[in-house]
Amino acid sequence: MTIRQLIYRNFKKNLATYYLYVFALLFSVALYFAFVTLQFDPSMDETAGTIKGAAAIKVASVLLIAIVGVFLLYANTLFIKRRSKEIGLYQLIGMTRRQIFNMLSVENMLLYFTSLFIGICIGFAISRFILMILIKITGIEAIANLHFSTDALIQTVIVFTIIFGFISLMNWIFIRHQSILNLFRVRSKTEAKIGKVSFFQILIGILGIALIAFGYYVSSRLFSGDATIERYLFFAMLLVLASVILGTSLFYKGSITFIFFLIRKKKGGYLSIREVLSLSSIMFRMKSNALLLTIITTVSALAIGLLSLSYISYYSAEKTIYEAIPNDYAIVSHEDGMAFSALLDDHDIAHTTTEVDFTISHADLHDVLGEHAEDFGFKVNDTPMIVVSDKNIDTIDLQDNDTVFINYSSSIMNILTFNDTGTVQLSGKSDAHDLKYQGLEEVYILPFRITSGGFPVAVVSDSVFHELQADEDPDLEPFFQDFVGIDLKDKADVDEAEELFHQDISQYAGNESRTASFQYQKENMGITMFVVGFLGLTFLVTSGCILYFKQMGESEEERPNYTILRKLGFTTKDLLTGIKRKQLFNFGIPLVIGLCHSYFAVKSGWFFFGNEMLTPTVIVMLIYTALYSIFGFLSVLYYKKVIKSAL
Amino acid sequence: MTILQAQKIYKSYGNKLNRQEVLKGIDMEVGEGEFISIMGASGSGKTTLLNVLSSIDKVSQGSIQIEGNELTAMKDQQLATFRKKHLGFIFQDYNLLDTLTVKENILLPLTIQKVSKKAANSMFQAIAEELGIYEIKDKYPNEISGGQKQRTSAARAFIHEPSIIFADEPTGALDSKAASDLLNKLSEVNEKRKATIVMVTHDPAAASYSSRVIFIKDGQIYSQLNKGGETRQSFFKDIMKTQGVLGGVHHDN
Ligand SMILES: Nc1ncnc2c1ncn2[C@@H]1O[C@H](COP(=O)(O)OP(=O)(O)OP(=O)(O)O)[C@@H](O)[C@H]1O
Ligand SMILES: [Mg+2]
Repeated sequence: MTIRQLIYRNFKKNLATYYLYVFALLFSVALYFAFVTLQFDPSMDETAGTIKGAAAIKVASVLLIAIVGVFLLYANTLFIKRRSKEIGLYQLIGMTRRQIFNMLSVENMLLYFTSLFIGICIGFAISRFILMILIKITGIEAIANLHFSTDALIQTVIVFTIIFGFISLMNWIFIRHQSILNLFRVRSKTEAKIGKVSFFQILIGILGIALIAFGYYVSSRLFSGDATIERYLFFAMLLVLASVILGTSLFYKGSITFIFFLIRKKKGGYLSIREVLSLSSIMFRMKSNALLLTIITTVSALAIGLLSLSYISYYSAEKTIYEAIPNDYAIVSHEDGMAFSALLDDHDIAHTTTEVDFTISHADLHDVLGEHAEDFGFKVNDTPMIVVSDKNIDTIDLQDNDTVFINYSSSIMNILTFNDTGTVQLSGKSDAHDLKYQGLEEVYILPFRITSGGFPVAVVSDSVFHELQADEDPDLEPFFQDFVGIDLKDKADVDEAEELFHQDISQYAGNESRTASFQYQKENMGITMFVVGFLGLTFLVTSGCILYFKQMGESEEERPNYTILRKLGFTTKDLLTGIKRKQLFNFGIPLVIGLCHSYFAVKSGWFFFGNEMLTPTVIVMLIYTALYSIFGFLSVLYYKKVIKSAL
Repeated sequence: MTILQAQKIYKSYGNKLNRQEVLKGIDMEVGEGEFISIMGASGSGKTTLLNVLSSIDKVSQGSIQIEGNELTAMKDQQLATFRKKHLGFIFQDYNLLDTLTVKENILLPLTIQKVSKKAANSMFQAIAEELGIYEIKDKYPNEISGGQKQRTSAARAFIHEPSIIFADEPTGALDSKAASDLLNKLSEVNEKRKATIVMVTHDPAAASYSSRVIFIKDGQIYSQLNKGGETRQSFFKDIMKTQGVLGGVHHDN
């Protein structure tokens, strides 16, 4: 047989046997190409141009390359390991390592570049589909049909050729470092011996937990106003990342291994079938598992974190708008408000008009805020504050010496904490009023445009309000003097009203339509949401696939064990209970720790993204867990197949 | 009393186009407490016979009864339970789990019976010391020699005191001292506990430990020898003679 025939035969055989490698390739190429096609599409300019979308996409494409690269390198490792016997055989019949490497490279190249080509075709097809989703989220309809982009093609080919270079390098190293003996034995060496738990290992385990805890601690301090941390913010973030990842790895290497050692030692050789298939099987591959679990944990944490943050901003968008613009139309001058109302009347659009009278005073808040609020850059003792009369709010009725705060932005409240009670002093030009602070109320009557971006508004009794208004300090005179809020009675009129508003009223700075703002917000976030969602899902699928592939490989490796156990009289059911446990560990542990990591990551900085953390984060976590579990179930099914066919 | 009865068993491998008949109508009976050897050339179907007798493999035709239970009519689940409880195996290629230590491998059959850990430990110690593998109890299969693997496999077959032990070339990888130790152990289990033993072997010396030898050729029983009142030496000579007639070890056809 000539070398060429050998290559051809191998190629034919491997195409069937190693379909998962091909699948990994197709998946990665298609995803990447779809992404780059979108990136280069002219219709995206508009979307990307609306915000710093371009930067987001750039970052995303780098991350995408990273994850795709890791994925392919991993798939290749499995691929080449599974073929180690074959490689050993070639060595045995006298081929040199270089010859083997060349042969494998040619074969690999055929496989790789065929997949690349097919993957690009698939990628082009799905990019259209993705674009449709994008239109759906952002609501931008002006996207024309997608063109095949040569730029995207070139970029994809370059990226994947570089990855191919790495893969070849890896294969070369693999072949170089194998002796014939090793090649035959690659699967049967245990990676964790019992009876050899050292003090060192315990130390590593503890260090791992300590590093994770330290990472969590620093992350919780990142935006808490700690001056030193804030000065070195970027460095601190890197520190958190490094210590958590390292800690996770040590945790697996040390703590988990150590716990397993203890359990197994305690059994004294007397293992039930369940433990044979879970405990001992996991320990058998402890070292490579530790690395893999670390990667999966990190990737999952990253994905969950990103998805949570983007969902938080989307979820909060509506709430934010409703806080920031309390009426359908917020008009900041009396004349405009009356004009618009009249215009609506002309067109028979039923609506209500609410005018809110407000004034501005000096506020001394030190008793309710505490001194630390100085860090946020305003003077606690004398800060300008909008004041309204309790007459404007049906639900609030105050005594002359009381005040409540309303109209606050949830985002600001996440950073600024008010005491439950205290004294607030409101003063005009000459007179001061000491008022008992009664707390915050979730009531919104003025747009944030008037209240310097969401700083609370003080509500006082009508008489106090009039005194303050009469005594208003001219130095403080607010930019806007009046406010008219207009609400449509029938939301079906919104299109017509929008048209009228944009024709005439909106040109005066400061007047806002809630509908238009919401649309603008959605467009703004849509692209970020999309990019982050795309990445998150890619991370999810790749980490799921990596685990699944790994389990496929393991099940094949362990097939002889299943044969033996079944010969000895253990049933498929007996074996499967053990397998389920093992999968619970293999999939569950990185998920749980990943969730934990992402929770702390999100907690450290979520308030920059929105005003509601728990609900969106929990929703994302639940969906992620559900999707991720699919891979676990699939792997159990695969095991079932292998076990069934083992005898 | 007959514990195992096989009637007209046939076994073939492959599909319609490419069919290989390995067993061609074998009848045999095993009495309770018997120690039987099966001999024959390589590829003559000894392992196959052992597999179908022990319910690991299915016959193509014929019937097998163990203690009155028809194996061919039993479901997989039942067969498995039966094997687990009543049979012990020493396989030709050891069949040890590479994820378990020697001790864990040996204790495996006990875990399904409600044996206390302490009792299991003392049983293990006794058998492992007898077979000379106590020192390697914490090693993994890939760290021990072929002979040690074989003895580990034997210890696993004995430990749960099965009523029938199937052994495929149990002495293949052992030197003569270790081989006779193992065979003595087999004889002892056979005599003291009245365990029935069916053993495949190439070695006439090993076969001479048994009470009856069955010779297989071309998928059929060629002849049988009974030890009766003979000494092991003269039985050994008889076996040699029959093997000589059979043509010794040659490949099929
Ligand atoms: N699973 C199988 N599929 C197809 N043919 C098989 C299978 N197992 C065994 N055979 C064939 O059946 C015949 C008998 O095999 P068997 O293993 O029973 O021989 P044996 O007598 O045990 O030989 P040895 O002494 O070498 O162990 C052989 O020709 C073999 O090729
Ligand atoms: Mg055999």
